Amino acid sequence: MANKSGSVYGLTILSPIIDDEMATPSHDLQIRAYLATLATDDKSPFALAPGTHLARLVVMDDVIYVGMPACEEHLKSKYLVLESNFDGELDNYLGGLADTVPQQLDAIWGHCVAYPGAANRQAFIDYMKACQLDTTFYFAAVNDKSLPDTLRALHTRSAVVDFIADHQGMAPARLQAEFIQFVAELRLEPIPGPGAMAIPRDIKTGGKDE
Amino acid sequence: MSNINGKVYAMNAITPMKPWKTWILRGFFVVLGRVKPLQQDLINLSFIEFARWVVLPRKRFPYLGNGQKREELQYDYLLFFSNFNGTWNQYIDAFSAVLSRGLNLIWRWSEKFPGSVPVTPFKTYIARVQFDTDYYYTAYPRATANDLKSAHIVQASLDTLSQHAQDYTPAQFAEAYLRFVIQVQAHLGETGEAPVVF
Amino acid sequence: MSKLNATDIQGFVLRGYNLPISRYLFLHLEDASRGRKMIGRLLGQVTTGQRWDGGKPDSTVNIAFTHRGLVALELPLATLLTFPVEFQEGMRNRAGILGDTDLNAPERWDEVWRNGMVHVWIGVNAKSPEALEARCAALLAMIQETGGATLLDSQDAAAVMIDGKPTTREHFGYTDGFGNPEYLGVERSSQPGQGKLLEDGTWAPLATGELLLGYADEAGELPVAPVPHLLAANGTFMVYRKLHQNLAAFRAYLDEQAKLYGGGREKLAAKFIGRWRDGTPLELSPDKPDFALTQDPKRSTNFTYSADPEGVRCPLGAHVRRVHPRDDFGFHGKLIDRRRITRRGLPYGTFVPEGEPVLDSEDRGVIFMALNASISRQFEFVQQQWIGYGNDARQGNDKDMLIGNHCGRGRFVVQGDTTPENPPFICSNMPNFVDLRGGDYFFLPSITALGMMALCLVDPR
Repeated sequence: MANKSGSVYGLTILSPIIDDEMATPSHDLQIRAYLATLATDDKSPFALAPGTHLARLVVMDDVIYVGMPACEEHLKSKYLVLESNFDGELDNYLGGLADTVPQQLDAIWGHCVAYPGAANRQAFIDYMKACQLDTTFYFAAVNDKSLPDTLRALHTRSAVVDFIADHQGMAPARLQAEFIQFVAELRLEPIPGPGAMAIPRDIKTGGKDE
Repeated sequence: MSNINGKVYAMNAITPMKPWKTWILRGFFVVLGRVKPLQQDLINLSFIEFARWVVLPRKRFPYLGNGQKREELQYDYLLFFSNFNGTWNQYIDAFSAVLSRGLNLIWRWSEKFPGSVPVTPFKTYIARVQFDTDYYYTAYPRATANDLKSAHIVQASLDTLSQHAQDYTPAQFAEAYLRFVIQVQAHLGETGEAPVVF
Repeated sequence: MSKLNATDIQGFVLRGYNLPISRYLFLHLEDASRGRKMIGRLLGQVTTGQRWDGGKPDSTVNIAFTHRGLVALELPLATLLTFPVEFQEGMRNRAGILGDTDLNAPERWDEVWRNGMVHVWIGVNAKSPEALEARCAALLAMIQETGGATLLDSQDAAAVMIDGKPTTREHFGYTDGFGNPEYLGVERSSQPGQGKLLEDGTWAPLATGELLLGYADEAGELPVAPVPHLLAANGTFMVYRKLHQNLAAFRAYLDEQAKLYGGGREKLAAKFIGRWRDGTPLELSPDKPDFALTQDPKRSTNFTYSADPEGVRCPLGAHVRRVHPRDDFGFHGKLIDRRRITRRGLPYGTFVPEGEPVLDSEDRGVIFMALNASISRQFEFVQQQWIGYGNDARQGNDKDMLIGNHCGRGRFVVQGDTTPENPPFICSNMPNFVDLRGGDYFFLPSITALGMMALCLVDPR
């Protein structure tokens, strides 16, 4: 089992989506519609709850037929996939989600089979773990830095570039004084939170078969 | 629906495997996991933030009762999830150009896998077995894997210099500061918006 | 690989003519059948890749088409649709992808590139102004006679003359023209550093299919090309960009920064691009220019960056390191072999030596023409990822110092060491040293394909 790489956990969850012929639109479409408008910036549930580096939600509506001579087969359920890369241990992470963003979790997983709701923290954790798949091989480019460390480092880097650029050729005594002040101020500066400064999406069609 | 958020691309792929082949693949992953030098190529491909492969046996799809029907499948499935920087074509091209042997060992057990070289049939296959992401979140939309690594280096160097900054004479500080700038000088790129994806 | 048929390939593709002056004519096709007739008349005049055993001709003629031009010629729709997407769209519609925004946005381009009227590019290169005028006059008379096209505009360009001799300098003072790759089958004296790097550290020519359609490329397959095969084979795609140079802004910025930089003005200018102004690579001679080195084909392009991973000699973001990263990304350079382009083109406008008064508003720049089998995989990728962005160079969002679309923002980091002559340095808030004034994507067909077009013999599949 390879759910962890260093201090980062790679969670994969497949939750069966309710198949109800009476539902209009169907539950998978309701999930898609909700996710299409869910905030991806600092208002994202994954930004509000602690620990997530990157995460995705995907409605997997079927397996894919690759053509002859393979056999064509289809799933009986559609599944909601959660792929998340976060700090620390699974129970804490799931508990943190349940504590912080129960409404959003319910709005999403409320369309899944046997979902108990996030209000019952332990039941939520147990449910998610029942849907968990073990990762066979996990790769993380950086696996020894927490999310707060990372956000801080990114903020620091921008500030350091500015500082160096603005202090070229300065006399040592003054440079030292300004550096000490810079570090002191940097410590007090608020660090942009997770998901902040998101970028509007702009996609062009491009090099097909390039 | 979007596979893209800022500087990262979320790829999902699913491919069918005959169940007896799954065991060979599992064996390969065990070796890959234990022998770190084999992972070096993945590390050197500096545009991957996180990636994972999940072998999903046909009888292990989560089953929760409550009216859910049990899956009846002939194939096991290989799920692949990647978070990478740059363009889709660049990513697949790079895989094909420098990781083809490793990739073939991973995907050759999947039905109809054409091999990762030449690249066009490989791209056609990936495009076919890729399914799109409905919702994609990243805590740092303006950073790439390279930016993260650089930022941590800058942070560590700054922490070291600032620990002693007060104790130095101005001349000593000037010397230490120059050493600091040289330590971080290869890691000072700006973070910002990603180019338009194409 | 078999020998290329040089008589079927336009000469412009196979070699830089090394003729000092040129004029590019931009035509609008008025009528498909008259247009075909015009191409038929031109066919015998098009300069091929055949060797000039009898010496250089006085002038050369080459021809290329935009997708709109091919539509105007009424090629079958099934064929028109097989051209690559980016070529069908044209350069103006790719502005977002290319970062041709703000100061470089299409709204600011020259009129001829804004209205989408250009169908045909005819490139005339010549030995002398007289030869150029004579050839152009004859061509235009013929075009008028057939009634196939109207002349929308023309662009003159010429090598910078110093002491009465043509040079390879461009307006900023850098010596240009070291970077073109070698391709299998293209006859040229071989030079280490100009093809692709092999695992043993030697250099070999790139696959022909990186330049010409119809041959295997570096991925071991035929490049994406229009159907039928005969229309594509021995042809290529050309990117035409008119790059205005803000010479006054460049000199003022260099003066201002050089005051703060301990290495001196000339070294700073060299750090911008990775070569001293005479062409000496910083990687080989970091402390001073070495003219003898630039004249030695065994050495002038023969280097890698693995011994300089921190950019102490050649900055990580220097122009030549960005556009030809050699072994910088590991894997023996394998990640860059499908991202190379071949450059043609000449400067335009008057050359002003250092120290003489100069204005940015003066018409001056370089006509950049890039040849490649895939515009999206090669030119567009380089322009977007390596010029307008810095992640592959591990420089975040930093753009190419010299030709980046900075708009008064941005950074360029000059890495250094502890010696006073080579200090680390950061340039900030750059103006645009280069502005884009327009251009488009062209298809440069083979002689056979031109004949098919002239006779309306393109059969779709």
